[in-house]
Amino acid sequence: MSTSTVSTSSGSTTVAKRSALAPLGKPFAAAAGVLAIVAALLPWVTFTLNDGNWPDKSTLQFFDAPFAVTGFRWHVLLIGVLILVATFAPVPSKGRVVRALGWGLTVVAFVNAAYITVKGGGLGAITAVEGATAFGAVVGLVAGVLAILAGYGIGIGPVGEWNFKVSTPVAYLVLLVSFGAVLYAVAAMLTTGGVGSANPYAGAIFLSFLGFAGGLIGALSGVGFVRWLSALSEQHRVFSVIVLAACALLLPFTDAGNEYWMTVAANIGIYAATAIGLNIVVGLAGLLDLGYVAFMGIGALVAANFSGAATAHFGIHLPFPVAAAAAAIVAGIFGAIVGSPTLRVRGDYLAIVTLAFGEIFTRSAQNNIGGITNGSNAIPGIPPLSLFGTEFNKSISIGAVKLPAGVLYYVLIVLLVAGTMAVFANLKFSRIGRAWIAIREDEDAARAMGIRTGKMKILAFLIGATLAGLAGAVFAHKNGTVSYESFKFLESVTLLAAVILGGMGSIPGAVLGAALLFVLPEKLRDFEDYRLMIFGLALILIMRFRPVGLIPDAHRRAEMAERADENAEEAHVEAKKA
Amino acid sequence: MSVLLQQLANGVMQGALIALIALGYTMVYGIIQLINFAHGEVFMVASYGGLATFTLLPDDLKKSPAVALPLMFVGGIVVAVVVAVIMERFAYRPLRNAPRLAPLITALGVSVFLQEAVRVFYPNAKSNLPYPNVFPEGNLSLGPVNISWTGVLLVVLSVGLAVILQTYINRSRMGRAMRATAQDPDTAKLMGVNPDRVIVLTFILGAVLAGVAGILYGGFLGNINIDMGFQNGIFAFTAAVLGGVGSIRGAVIGAFIIGLIKTLAGQYMPGGTQYDYVWIFVVLILVLVFRPQGLFGEPERVRA
Repeated sequence: MSTSTVSTSSGSTTVAKRSALAPLGKPFAAAAGVLAIVAALLPWVTFTLNDGNWPDKSTLQFFDAPFAVTGFRWHVLLIGVLILVATFAPVPSKGRVVRALGWGLTVVAFVNAAYITVKGGGLGAITAVEGATAFGAVVGLVAGVLAILAGYGIGIGPVGEWNFKVSTPVAYLVLLVSFGAVLYAVAAMLTTGGVGSANPYAGAIFLSFLGFAGGLIGALSGVGFVRWLSALSEQHRVFSVIVLAACALLLPFTDAGNEYWMTVAANIGIYAATAIGLNIVVGLAGLLDLGYVAFMGIGALVAANFSGAATAHFGIHLPFPVAAAAAAIVAGIFGAIVGSPTLRVRGDYLAIVTLAFGEIFTRSAQNNIGGITNGSNAIPGIPPLSLFGTEFNKSISIGAVKLPAGVLYYVLIVLLVAGTMAVFANLKFSRIGRAWIAIREDEDAARAMGIRTGKMKILAFLIGATLAGLAGAVFAHKNGTVSYESFKFLESVTLLAAVILGGMGSIPGAVLGAALLFVLPEKLRDFEDYRLMIFGLALILIMRFRPVGLIPDAHRRAEMAERADENAEEAHVEAKKA
Repeated sequence: MSVLLQQLANGVMQGALIALIALGYTMVYGIIQLINFAHGEVFMVASYGGLATFTLLPDDLKKSPAVALPLMFVGGIVVAVVVAVIMERFAYRPLRNAPRLAPLITALGVSVFLQEAVRVFYPNAKSNLPYPNVFPEGNLSLGPVNISWTGVLLVVLSVGLAVILQTYINRSRMGRAMRATAQDPDTAKLMGVNPDRVIVLTFILGAVLAGVAGILYGGFLGNINIDMGFQNGIFAFTAAVLGGVGSIRGAVIGAFIIGLIKTLAGQYMPGGTQYDYVWIFVVLILVLVFRPQGLFGEPERVRA
């Protein structure tokens, strides 16, 4: 249709931009680096805000104490140095690196400037107050924008390729260090800005840190390091999985090891496990499910009813493994039922059928169907799990180290996520997984190749729902209350967004997506009201600018690249015609 | 008997409302095969737009319904059209050749965004807002059946606008361009039709009808809330599918059937009004599974 014309125009504009900026690339980058370093040493605010001092010695004067730089100023300084390094050292795909660092810097500067301006009351905080001038934020923003422009000027080439081989011990060391760095980054990300609302600037500190981390990761992936590392971990898969699991289990020993963050991490884990299940249905088999959270709800309700809670409908108390198995089986059966229309319905109509099933679940649960959901009263008082007499919500100590409350739940959920990941990975690389991907790509062709498409599609729904039911059973015990309100349409959309944000069909993607979507609201209490609005906007923007997600599945990435090439070619041909 | 008649009348009024929204779904799907999930929110936004128009009127105009009501219609429709055009331009148009599921997910995003934007930025939108009383008062009594004059207005406008729309699409030059684009966008382009303009026009027409529906909904129920878009959007979508997506007449007839199912199921089925919603979803699933081309099949389709 008209997309060819659209891509033509966008193609020509980028070309024009590149040619105009090309000679300015290096000087801009150098200037940006220097300005960033200067910004780090300039004062960012000259007075105390109403909620207390702006964090990290932001009133520091130029060169008063350059060694005392911490927090976001330290990040800005580091980015500045890195931009300079990238400009003058022979770095692969220089344009991408500088652009990513520029975006990181812009976000850091913008977040800090915006918070200071809003909380400090007008621009007075940044410009002159009582004779003292705080230009840090302005200089930082200018440096960031310059760096982005410089990136385009240098040219956005292909991602760097690292082809050198390393011996196994070195590879192990690299993986160990990298995953250790990931653990450190996760712990830092959770603890920056303190717990919840204790620090009035928690949201700003966190966003700023996110910008910094995003810039660094973007630069690393531009250089080609991320791709190389993922290839390396693919090569040594077993070792990577062990190290990754160990890292996850070490989280309670880091700064993030307190009750609050254990609870948040456990909740993220539950949703991550559910998102991985959804990823089977959406990412592998390509069936859009808009009522997926209902299966989690079914699992939670089954587990709650067999938990021995006072308000449960059946007076039976089953041991947790049995109840969890029952939850998974019941959810799986419902999954197969909901999936059965796939035999006749395809594409977006199927999405609407799943949405209808989800709404029927919500309505029925709300109206206490059969007396098993307790409607809006919920099922409270579900007893916590216990093992050898230790309740999971109490703190435990191993030797001299006292671990925070909730750590056992965290461990259980790490195991749950690891198990779900193992199921997903094994299925993906099996005959069944290949059949799903074939169906996703072209159902008729898959059928012609002898794949029993109907059976396979129902199987996708069944397995996805089973995993969600299992996650739901853990959810019921972890939270102690099960109410239909936790399983509404919006939750389904959130899970879907987690899968898409992370990258459809990719395992780390689903975990990352769930983590981002469930950590951000914890961190951004200031924006609680705007949470869903930003979330809707994010869905639109992702589909527009990065439909493959943050960590795309290799297969899907190749597919999208092909498509992009085709578009580019088409645009080229049209441009010639014109 | 009188209960049944009254419920039938209620069902027809519900159906008239749903029909106005369903036309937007059916036209957009007919042309670009997109389930515009956010269309229900356009209806909701129009309702709030009308309310805002009324609030901004000077006090003496508020007291004269003959002036205030038309102005509210204008305000609501303008808001709906602006939202729909922006939505088409910035959310859907860039994705026109993307894989099928991408625009659907975008539509979900637009829907959540619009709903939340109204909730956050419209004063007091977190609770139900009362709608101004500028609509004709009293009832039309036909034997045991009472129909409010707003309801009569609703049915008349709904059927009238549907007829006008059908005529426009079948007779006018632009309508022919719409049908051509629905049939084959590339060939239509060769024949001198600008598909972008046709698609924008489709969105605008849908938004106008949703705007009318939004104002009438407020007048009919007396208060509005931000959930109304999602719920009625689903009803309307069901109606469009039931009638055969792409068909104008099918959407209207489907809407009346859905309206009747809702009121009659609320009255006579087990569970009462708490479950009327569920019955509509059951109908939706059954139609999609057993007759996805809808009750009225192919011939009437705009898509043809």
